[in-house]
Amino acid sequence: MNKPFARLSMIFLLMGMPSLCAAANAPAQEEIVCIRCHSGQPGRLGEPVKLWRDSIHAANGILCNDCHGGDPKDAVNAMSPARGFLGAPKEADIPAFCGRCHVGVMKDYLQSAHGRRLGKGGPTCVSCHSNHLVLKASLDIITEKNCTQCHSYEQAMAIKEAMQQTEGLIVSIGGDIDAFKGEGVDTDKLGKGLFSVRNRFHTLFHDVDVEKVKQESTQINSELNKLADALGKIAEQRNKRKLAGGVVVGGALIAALIFYLLRKTYD
Amino acid sequence: MRFLKSVYNWCEVRLGIKELVEKELTGYLLPRNINFWYSMGSILLFIFIMQVATGILLLIYYVPDADKAFGSVTTIMNRVQFGWLIRLCHAIGSSMMVLFVLLHMLSVLFMGSYKSPRELNWLSGFILFNLVLATCLTGYLLPWSQLSFWATTVATNSVGAIPYIGQFLVEFLRGGKLVGAPTLGRFFTLHVAVIPILIAAVVGLHLFFLERIGVSTPPFGLDKTSNRWQGEAFRYDDHPGGIPFFPNYLLQDMTSIAVYFALFAAVLFFSPYIFFPKDAFVQANPFQTPAHIKPEWYFLANYQTLKLFPNEFVGLSIQGAAITFLALLPFIDRGREKHPLKRPLFTVCSIGGILIFIVLMVWGHYS
Repeated sequence: MNKPFARLSMIFLLMGMPSLCAAANAPAQEEIVCIRCHSGQPGRLGEPVKLWRDSIHAANGILCNDCHGGDPKDAVNAMSPARGFLGAPKEADIPAFCGRCHVGVMKDYLQSAHGRRLGKGGPTCVSCHSNHLVLKASLDIITEKNCTQCHSYEQAMAIKEAMQQTEGLIVSIGGDIDAFKGEGVDTDKLGKGLFSVRNRFHTLFHDVDVEKVKQESTQINSELNKLADALGKIAEQRNKRKLAGGVVVGGALIAALIFYLLRKTYD
Repeated sequence: MRFLKSVYNWCEVRLGIKELVEKELTGYLLPRNINFWYSMGSILLFIFIMQVATGILLLIYYVPDADKAFGSVTTIMNRVQFGWLIRLCHAIGSSMMVLFVLLHMLSVLFMGSYKSPRELNWLSGFILFNLVLATCLTGYLLPWSQLSFWATTVATNSVGAIPYIGQFLVEFLRGGKLVGAPTLGRFFTLHVAVIPILIAAVVGLHLFFLERIGVSTPPFGLDKTSNRWQGEAFRYDDHPGGIPFFPNYLLQDMTSIAVYFALFAAVLFFSPYIFFPKDAFVQANPFQTPAHIKPEWYFLANYQTLKLFPNEFVGLSIQGAAITFLALLPFIDRGREKHPLKRPLFTVCSIGGILIFIVLMVWGHYS
């Protein structure tokens, strides 16, 4: 290769840099040592990782050490009590274990019929929500199969029915907020509103008083309807934009046709 | 009326307007078989003007500060009157600009318009293509979203694969070891000042070359389709008996621009988020890497190519070689024939290249 050609090639190589440097592999999310070690192990030592991957904790980035403590970056000392490793709690300690993060929920649970039976054969958090495959708090957890492990299903079913409409509204509004957020709409206020209402609603989850659940659900529904109205206004505005877009597209096509016909008159 | 006439006469004797109009508009003749592909340049000029206009309007509310950039874009999208329209016009316009630069280049390739004596037109166009990509890349970071932050991290990181100077280049581009406030400052300056001025200058150069050498003749609808230029001396490629630029071809340009605008408006109003993944509306978080960061559609083929090679430098070198080949094409392809069907090797290779580009792009999207 002669010198001028080599120089020219270098210039173009540098000129083409934007197209080159914009493309590369996204770095893989670094996994903590707990997952690296346990995921390769058979049986009960590897099982928690598989279960955790499908859990609500995994979806929200809650890792092993967030519950069990320890050092997730040091394989040798990962399970050292000196590094804060807690291991698995005893049954009676489970609510306090989960309650380090879910403070309000723990309080609701302890006041409920379920909580009052703690240590006397009553259910703990993991009885309904599972341990590593932690399930999102939703009405789907209230099933005949789950509830009849301890008692009959009638009362649980009545509560579930009373809460179903509210749950449906929460899911639908949450979906709409997410969709609008994904389109650049400032949903901060709406998101906070839903968060607050949802938390209030979740406090009913551990209540077994059917009448109270019905009353509270009605109040919560009216607040949810206000959020739904606000979202409806955004959707309406979107439709108006589409209507305006139709006029603009039509106008541009008519202009194109006029220019084309004018050109034909000169041919 | 008399006043206007006297103003016209006053200008006429000083500027020679009549002669200018005759030379550049009504007397500026184009080949009789000219087609609509020749209006791609006008469409691109229109897009560039739109980008500059919407960019200036965005500057009124945009704050180039890492702590405030995302908030300012959210304000533009939600609280500024028609801010959403301006921002979406600018963002969608950038993708349209790349698309139409590619279409313009493809039409020039297939009609053999890059051949002698138009090597400089091709080179200046090629530089413009890279400047457009550079302005898209630098603009991508400005909203300071998760997408922009991580896409820029990945993009600037890949420069590190260049031996010896790679790490220096990475830090030079970022203004530090990691993407942060200094990177935003640098990219903002490049995006709003340096690159647009360069684009405007090279567009001027591109048009100057066109003005000096004349418009090429399309190889379609003619018996003789080989290059007429002999290279003995400078000669303006005129088209006696051709169609005048004004009003005939200007109306064709207007038709094409109106059709483009209809397409642009259709995307803008009916599918504006086609170019925006969800991470584009989440504030940048240097401590949380999103699972699947993908570059913009026009960088997907490069992205996938890099993934195919175990060594990033090899991947970069292969792409560099391909880009250099494309830049130097007028000096490599010295054949006189311009009609694509009469140069089957070129046509097959070009179609193959386009298909590879599309396959890599789709593969990159779904990988």
